[in-house]
Amino acid sequence: MALQQIDQFAAKLRPDTRAAVYDGSKKGHEKRTAVLFDHYPDPDHLRRLAGNIKQHVVENLDTLLPAAAAALERNGVKVHWASTAEEANAAVLAIMQARGAKKMVKAKTMVSEETHLADYLGKNGVECVETDLGEFIIQIDGDHPSHIVKPIIHKNRREIATSFEKHGLGAYNDDPQTITRRARAHLRRKYLEADVGLTGANFVTADTGRLVLVTNEGNSRFCLAATKCHIAMVGIEKLLPRETDLGLYLNLLARSGTGQQLTVYTEFISGPRSPAQPDGPEEMHVIFVDNGRTEALASECREILRCIRCGACLNVCPVYRQASGHAYRSVYPGPVGAVLSPLLAGERFPELADLPKASSLCGACNEVCPVNIPIPDLLLRLRARGKEAGAKNAAAGTPPMGAWSLLATQPFAWRTSLTAGHTLNYVPKSLIPVPPMQTWLRDRTLPAWRGGAFRKWMKDRAKK
Amino acid sequence: MSSARDTLLARVKAALAPLPERAPLPDWERELVVMREARGAVDAWTLFSARLAGVNGTPLTSVAELIALLTKSDWRRGYCDPALWAELRPAFDAAGGFTVETTFDRARVDDYQFGITAAVGAIAETGTVVLSDAATSSRLAALAPWTHIAVLRRAQIHLDLPAAIAALPKDPNVVWCTGPSKTADVEGILIEGVHGPGIQVALLLG
Amino acid sequence: MAHAQSALITPSSRPAGKRVQMMATCLCDAFYDDVARATVEVLEHLGCTVEFPEGQTCCGQPAFNGGDWEASRRVVRHTAKVFAGDLPIIVPSGSCAAMMFHGAPLEFEKQPDLPEIEALGKRAWELVDFIVHGLGVKTWPGRYQAKVAFHRSCHSRGTCTGPAALALLSSIAGIEVVPFGEGEQCCGFGGTFSVSFPNVSKGMGTLKLEHIRAAQPDVLASIDMSCMMHLGGLAEKDGKPIKTLHVAQILRDALKNA
Repeated sequence: MALQQIDQFAAKLRPDTRAAVYDGSKKGHEKRTAVLFDHYPDPDHLRRLAGNIKQHVVENLDTLLPAAAAALERNGVKVHWASTAEEANAAVLAIMQARGAKKMVKAKTMVSEETHLADYLGKNGVECVETDLGEFIIQIDGDHPSHIVKPIIHKNRREIATSFEKHGLGAYNDDPQTITRRARAHLRRKYLEADVGLTGANFVTADTGRLVLVTNEGNSRFCLAATKCHIAMVGIEKLLPRETDLGLYLNLLARSGTGQQLTVYTEFISGPRSPAQPDGPEEMHVIFVDNGRTEALASECREILRCIRCGACLNVCPVYRQASGHAYRSVYPGPVGAVLSPLLAGERFPELADLPKASSLCGACNEVCPVNIPIPDLLLRLRARGKEAGAKNAAAGTPPMGAWSLLATQPFAWRTSLTAGHTLNYVPKSLIPVPPMQTWLRDRTLPAWRGGAFRKWMKDRAKK
Repeated sequence: MSSARDTLLARVKAALAPLPERAPLPDWERELVVMREARGAVDAWTLFSARLAGVNGTPLTSVAELIALLTKSDWRRGYCDPALWAELRPAFDAAGGFTVETTFDRARVDDYQFGITAAVGAIAETGTVVLSDAATSSRLAALAPWTHIAVLRRAQIHLDLPAAIAALPKDPNVVWCTGPSKTADVEGILIEGVHGPGIQVALLLG
Repeated sequence: MAHAQSALITPSSRPAGKRVQMMATCLCDAFYDDVARATVEVLEHLGCTVEFPEGQTCCGQPAFNGGDWEASRRVVRHTAKVFAGDLPIIVPSGSCAAMMFHGAPLEFEKQPDLPEIEALGKRAWELVDFIVHGLGVKTWPGRYQAKVAFHRSCHSRGTCTGPAALALLSSIAGIEVVPFGEGEQCCGFGGTFSVSFPNVSKGMGTLKLEHIRAAQPDVLASIDMSCMMHLGGLAEKDGKPIKTLHVAQILRDALKNA
């Protein structure tokens, strides 16, 4: 029988990687919960409210996007539009070429991961250096992030020290402080040499045209202090209707993502630097990127576009903890990724149609989501879509339900099977919702078959 | 109007067209997100300094305290906002042994052990100092040196985060700094001073 | 506003009379007849008249979760037919109850008979939820001498069932409810998930058992026998069996010492 790829990946995961992912995500979840419930009497009310405001954004992008673009332009920002990953990358390159720019420093942005921007720029003669410590390590290793907020949750210090040594960043030393200091010294030169700083945006206010960026390391701040040109790649769903809404989302994002009250650097950027300011960009560009988002918007799973990329659903997810982020074969892992990645894939949906199966539907993701996305419902809708599309990888390991449904709609046959199962001392496989018995029995026993016993008891009582 | 814009917006419109109705925009009370500690009669500086200490920042209330801090670590070379230098210089001169510049030379970015700049505000409930292009004389000077000192006035302190949002200045670059730069990327271990300051001071003057 | 819904919300106004219909669930039908018996006995102790529609089979969840909504809808329609009327439907399973009030309406969103399916869901009660919120019973008589670990099965998330079961169990003389680590985590059953993701499922179950064993309970209890079948089966296969019970069985047995 064909097997689910994520389950296979989990089975082969190195024990130390699993331990690192498990511990990191468990700690993240515990911190998040402690902080939210310590600080607020009813965090769930805040989550629902934030979900409702974001749902408004999603369902009104046709008016909010032009409003945001107009506000940004009023602030002196050049706005660009990209429907595909290729267009987004090309827009970045065109801005750089117009300035004769050859070097870019880059803060963490998930949308640039989607478009493989760094690779693209490299092939076009532009040096693109990741500056977030985790992303920098990913870049020198030729690896991929495995968590939205903690990209190297799957790595230990020894692996990092080895790759630092390999890439000329000093003799082997696995002390986290030494690793961080070496990266500081190395990247500082990169910032000062760079022509362009590229960031994403956590939020864009549609009324005032401010980009909001949150980081802890200060790398995006450095990108915007040292370079002369700022490019921001922004997914079209990142809008907030009102600047005042930031008060809600900033409080929820930091607590949900890292268990902090507030991230260390929260930047509000609405244009090129002031004339009197000696440092920072004299030119600012925002590229609004679709890259599959309008597919998600048109689908019955548009709620996923509320996501503010905090990673709380990854941290709490028991499947993520067992399988790690790389199991999801896409930019967005975990519960949010299991919904978002197949949707963003567009025509390639069948390739990722198994992702929505990677869930026990336990609902923990919905319970922690700061914008209350009903992730289990969306996973179920995508499962139905995968079934309709006949995606083989989605079907792997799922028992066929045809015979079962036939039986379960014919009471006589159902009752006969119950008692037959008893007398024949074998389990009628089409009746029990765990038909691949050998898989069940590999790790578990099955209780004794008692088919029909309760119905007989009821009948016997009625006779008395 | 560019065609790239038209194409993208047309896709958005098409995706939303089948919706029978659109989700409304709820109003909300800012009190909802104000933490208990910041409600009612609270001394803003007391709350601010407790919160700043909570994120390993350093609240100070006098120039003498600042000079003691710098002297203890032998941080002698630094940058100071020219407008603030007039106010601070007498105390530094009296202490002696400091080399302070009032223009930040990016070619010698690692020569500065500390940078003193003016804040435009602060948030008490989070221990945050607010910088802006208008108030902060050099973005790099507030970021590159190991120690950043943000000079703050009592009247500038907002009690809570929503108040600070409401008071966001019309400035192209407003930055909230909440403690020293930090990371937990390597095995979840907290390390301070990643790209920005390892020491974040808020100095209350007046 | 469908989009603003949480994954699981207990319906707000449900019928709560003392004449009830009972859905035994396929697992009790096939394996756990004593749980179904305990359900009847507990309900009768509370003065209820329990009807058992003979034509009942399954709530339709296996196919629903598996993505085969066509097959699932056939079964749900059958269930709606069998449980025609307006009596409360009592289910000794949080999972099957949630399928009726949440899952089924989801897969019927575009079906012409959605109203009938929604009406069915609005009559569905998980057993303990019914006892506490339907009948207003807050404490339980009798005695049951045991340290009980209560596994909060996932389909009680967002519903009133989890706290209700915990409160009821805690009120029984002799019971000490012992908390254990990571109580919010899933046991790894997940219906067909348990066989389509056998490795992850086992990993999750093994962790859950470690936490439960550390609390050294006499009994592991739940409102869902599916979780118990998985955890009990894992523990037994591992050579370290644990005693698993449905909350209904504890309630019934406590009455024997009343």
